[in-house]
Amino acid sequence: MRLKKLAAAAAAVSFAFALSACGGSSASSDSANDNSQAADTNTEASGDQVVINFFHRWPNDPKNTMFKNLIAKYEEENPNVKINMDCILNDQYKEKIRMIVGTDEVPDIFSSWSGSFAKEMIDSGNVLDLTSVFEDDPEWADTIADVSKGPFTFDGKLMAVPWSQDGKAFFYNKRIFEENGLEVPKTWDEFINVLDKLKAAGYETPITEGLKDQWAILHYLGTMNQRMVDPEVLAADYDPATGEFTDPAYVDVLEKWQQLTSYMGEVATAIDHETARNTYFATEESPIMYLQFAEINIMKDAVNFDYGFFNFPAFSEGKGDPNALTGAPEGFMISNKAKNRDECIKFLKWLVSVDGGAVALTTEAGDLTSVKGAITAENALPAQIEALETIDSASQMAPWFDNACDASIYTVFGQGASAIASGDETPEQVMTAVQAAASELRAKQ
Amino acid sequence: MTKKRNREAFLYILPCLIVLGLFVYYPLIMNIVYSFHSFTLSSSTKDFVGLANFRKLFSDKIILTSLMNNVLYAVISVIIQVGFGLVLAAVLEDRVFQKVSPFFRTTYFIPTLLSMTVVCLLFRFIYNPQMGLLNSFLKLVGLDGLTNIWLGKSKIAMYAVIAVSQWQSTGYVTMLFIVAIQKIPRDLYEAAEMDGAGKIRQFFCITVPQVRQMWFVTMVITVVGAFTVFNEPYILTGGGPGTSTMTLALHMYQTGVVKNDMGYASTIAMLIFLITAVLSSIQFFTFGGKEDE
Amino acid sequence: MAAKSGRRKFGPGEILWLVILTVLAVLILYPLFWIVMSSFKDYNGIFKDVWGLPEKWLFENYATAWEKGISGYFVNSLIVSAGTIFGVVLLATFAAFGICQIKSKLANICFLMILGGLLLSPQVCLLPLYMLLKNLGIKDTYFALIFPYIAFRIPVSVMLIRSFFIGIPKDLEESAIIDGASFFQIYRKIYLPLSKPIISTVVIMTAYYSWNEFIFATMFIDSTARQTIPVGLMAFSDGLMTNWGVVMAGMVIACLPITLLFILMQKSFIRGITAGSVKG
Repeated sequence: MRLKKLAAAAAAVSFAFALSACGGSSASSDSANDNSQAADTNTEASGDQVVINFFHRWPNDPKNTMFKNLIAKYEEENPNVKINMDCILNDQYKEKIRMIVGTDEVPDIFSSWSGSFAKEMIDSGNVLDLTSVFEDDPEWADTIADVSKGPFTFDGKLMAVPWSQDGKAFFYNKRIFEENGLEVPKTWDEFINVLDKLKAAGYETPITEGLKDQWAILHYLGTMNQRMVDPEVLAADYDPATGEFTDPAYVDVLEKWQQLTSYMGEVATAIDHETARNTYFATEESPIMYLQFAEINIMKDAVNFDYGFFNFPAFSEGKGDPNALTGAPEGFMISNKAKNRDECIKFLKWLVSVDGGAVALTTEAGDLTSVKGAITAENALPAQIEALETIDSASQMAPWFDNACDASIYTVFGQGASAIASGDETPEQVMTAVQAAASELRAKQ
Repeated sequence: MTKKRNREAFLYILPCLIVLGLFVYYPLIMNIVYSFHSFTLSSSTKDFVGLANFRKLFSDKIILTSLMNNVLYAVISVIIQVGFGLVLAAVLEDRVFQKVSPFFRTTYFIPTLLSMTVVCLLFRFIYNPQMGLLNSFLKLVGLDGLTNIWLGKSKIAMYAVIAVSQWQSTGYVTMLFIVAIQKIPRDLYEAAEMDGAGKIRQFFCITVPQVRQMWFVTMVITVVGAFTVFNEPYILTGGGPGTSTMTLALHMYQTGVVKNDMGYASTIAMLIFLITAVLSSIQFFTFGGKEDE
Repeated sequence: MAAKSGRRKFGPGEILWLVILTVLAVLILYPLFWIVMSSFKDYNGIFKDVWGLPEKWLFENYATAWEKGISGYFVNSLIVSAGTIFGVVLLATFAAFGICQIKSKLANICFLMILGGLLLSPQVCLLPLYMLLKNLGIKDTYFALIFPYIAFRIPVSVMLIRSFFIGIPKDLEESAIIDGASFFQIYRKIYLPLSKPIISTVVIMTAYYSWNEFIFATMFIDSTARQTIPVGLMAFSDGLMTNWGVVMAGMVIACLPITLLFILMQKSFIRGITAGSVKG
């Protein structure tokens, strides 16, 4: 009994302790960053050895091995350089780099998407302006595709070294299309018609997708918004300060999305993108899938049939450019806190060149390099060359949805679209939630 | 003399208090402070926003979904882990099963040993809609109609997630009850048997009242666990489809780290704290009482 | 006597229960058996023949898993667990000893301050702890896990050790004091050697906790090079795509240490888990 009373007292004490300490220490967390710098200097190696911390988002093979090999090669050629490579996968990378970019822990070199994601990185104030690097070495700068440079240019300054380019298109199984006398659809109505015919021909899921991955959903929504909504409205809405999302076109988009998911089968909400690709598209159960060009290489062992691709069909009522291609370059940024800037630049220039990593990126890892002339009929798959042509022929590149607007908006969009797919919410409900998120975001600016 | 001794002895406790103060109590205080501010992970300043974050709790629909899911988690866990776990313990402690009981209770305990990641990865395979163990088993025994897309339908995904916890933790609670039952004096049962009481009556008239302390403790552990659950939905569904398997802890994590709204995330953490601290204090007091006996 | 042995006989009720018990055991054992079986298969072996035994036993799955990253995660987990165990045992025995030595109300106040930690679930402290570790400059180091782990294991460990210390006969200590022994000598020569059983329980519980902990390990460690096994396993399974056999080999490896610990020290394990009654 005695202890019970004491326990009560202790609980009270511990709370009192909590409260009294409250007043005094609330400010101390802001004085943060100074001490971590001290810890950081430890990573600098002794002697002449130069250490570069390199952080990217590809922990899986083949890219991870490719990077390891490239770095080993570079370190062999430059014995004074030691490159510490670290990596985590996509969404986690996004979370982690956001957390550390504003701090002194920012890695010397890190990979970045283009567009708003790059902007977010730059807004941290820790990204090095690379314009002069390109100006000082025009010979190297000219080998890099202009279409890749644009999305990394902010206020006329080039903030990253573009490294790969990518685009998203519907891949289709040519044999199945031929057998059913189908043609590549140009408009949404034709597309739905194709899907209906495939369904009638016994393909229960004429198009497949892994809706468990939010980014996969967002890739659709990004393209559909771009096709459907007036570009000016869209730009205003994607801007955190002015976004409203009240245009009825968004509801149209989600209705079209609802229609599209009805062809994906019930299983779509339970699987991820890779499962969808490996066990539906590759096994010819689903004739169509919305894939990135970067996935061509991954499929080369799993897919034993001829496939082609077509750009997202046009909406007849759409106000956006129907010939834009969703996709974006990725690149590397250098932190302006990097201790060995010149070495970082030297390494990146080597990495993004035909002699360095550009060819391996396409032939080994399967991404389309941004370096002109690195891909030839000898070293690349025919589909990759076709993909490069598709990118070149697009009127413009539209950024990925999750690079185009604030996370608090696209997360609500993605969750809502997932709920539409599982039949739990209506497009109107989702847009109400998006509008609420947008107004909250506006209020914060 | 005693004063000097006391002071010296206190020095032995001090490191412990410092570590606890720094890594447990201080974060709690900071969490309270944070919940009145608006800031992001990378921002260097924090804007004071008063009660705005708390008001948001009431307008946030995902909070309601999460709370409902946490409550569902708690109810099912109490029924299966505490309710059924007690029955299971009583059966295993019945003398009839004396020979086989060690085997069963060890077996039931094994899942507790595995890390949540392993268990969740395992259940990814079990629930896999194409080759998953569950669906292929149902087809094997001719129950094709019962096959389902376990994690892909919002109506059943939460139950599928909850089932994982039951698989993992029921054996643990059962083990707690077994220990409690072993402490019950045998002669109580013998006397009851003399009086001709059946096993079911013995269970309700002796076992249940005698283990009520443990019953209370397991209740609290289970319910607190249900209100802080994170790993299972994080790994299995990521909160989807839609937000149908969102829980408070997962919502807090996503708000803080994905949506980068640390202030509001801290407010959600306060909600979790309120719920769990109340429940844990109850356990705290029962423990105090038990130790005194 | 006769009546009693009559009741011990198997009736239909007992048979029904035996069936239920067996079904439950199968529900638990089969999936585990399945993981082990599948860890010797390749993708097609798992996908096309879910129930079958491996056609060819691919022992190399284990070597692949080990080489492709599990070894690193394993070592990290070992380091973090060892550091946590060391810290918990040191701090908790110190604190429990101090509490037993103080002859005033202060002892109870301290004890209850420590027990107060039981009120808090780690989830509540997650975000501020993250900021704190960042500000201390130890985020993304082993200490980012070791310190919080120690802090969250202290309350239950002190509770266990204190209740054991109280049971240590006072006369040993008194005669040592008469001999002029210092505090530290009493701690080292009397308390520590006598409390081996409870310390081994604390060690096991701490190992179990730090080996399996997930949320802190996800939040506080960024580098793959320092990730512990529960988090590493996730990245591992993402990175390997459909190489499921290797993923499952990794899962088996991840479970081995704690399972071994359980088999070897079942009694201490169960004592710890029931006396603590706090889930890891």
